[in-house]
Amino acid sequence: MNLEEILNKKVTIVLIILIALSPLFAYAAEAVNYSEPLENTAEEVGAEEHPVYSGILPDYTVPGIDPYVGTLISALLGTFITMLFAIGIAKIVAQGKKDGNSEQNS
Amino acid sequence: MHIPDGYLDMHIAIIFYLLSAVVLGYSILRAKKEIDEKKIPLVGVVAAGIFAAQMLNWPIPGGTSAHLVGGAIAAILLGPYLGCIAMASVLIIQCLFFGDGGITALGANIWNMGVVDVFTAYFLYTMIQEKTGKKSIEAASFVAGWLGITFAAIFAGIEVGLSSSFKYSIGVTVPAMGIWHGILGIVEGIITAGVIMYIYRNRRDLLYEGGEKNESGRNSE
Repeated sequence: MNLEEILNKKVTIVLIILIALSPLFAYAAEAVNYSEPLENTAEEVGAEEHPVYSGILPDYTVPGIDPYVGTLISALLGTFITMLFAIGIAKIVAQGKKDGNSEQNS
Repeated sequence: MHIPDGYLDMHIAIIFYLLSAVVLGYSILRAKKEIDEKKIPLVGVVAAGIFAAQMLNWPIPGGTSAHLVGGAIAAILLGPYLGCIAMASVLIIQCLFFGDGGITALGANIWNMGVVDVFTAYFLYTMIQEKTGKKSIEAASFVAGWLGITFAAIFAGIEVGLSSSFKYSIGVTVPAMGIWHGILGIVEGIITAGVIMYIYRNRRDLLYEGGEKNESGRNSE
């Protein structure tokens, strides 16, 4: 079975809708400063972030271009990269199985 | 719920890197036994869907935002072992590409959202399903989504609360994280139940059926 069977039209549409909505939600969350309970708690006790690594596309933006376009590009790229990465890991996991089975069968 | 750099003391960060590595290693061994060709693309699609869903930060009136975590969805679709691997994949990409979740806190973040969330959700889902004769997918998914992230948040509270930057205020951080995500988790539960019910009605074959195929558990009703 291949990817097309699972990544059918419906699943692709759902992913595209989620990706397309990302700039809108970025705008909405900006209104509350992206403050999740963890950040609110940190503020309460006076803890601060000390970033040691900010990633290739920091905070889902593309340096130098409009932040909302950056969010859209990040969502699109990130979704695609995550899919490839997870499939790659799953293939590696499955690889060991084939060897194990053939040993057992022989 | 992604912990950034600077929140955790180094020894806490290292402990949770090690704990996550142990559970991930065990999950890979267990997943090896149950993965098949059909599941490989499903792992990719579930991970991609969770990444995309996590992009959507819901603004909560009063100055808070939250997004889906998705550990329960991963657990119910893929089982706990592949679910853990899928969540770890999402968290690794978020950290390395987008700086979401600190690189020093990656172990803790995988522990909270990839281990605690996934395994708690899976345990609750299967327990409720068993007790009700598999007639309560909706309620089981809701509880799994809701309490899965609540427990994940409590662990995040423990980790930061044991760290010096939070002044060892574990008595503040655990209730704050637990209560907030206990409330926000209701939304996670509703979304989890919605997604799982939709898949159950349309593609029942995609739901995880348990590692050991116990045919006796299948009643022909």
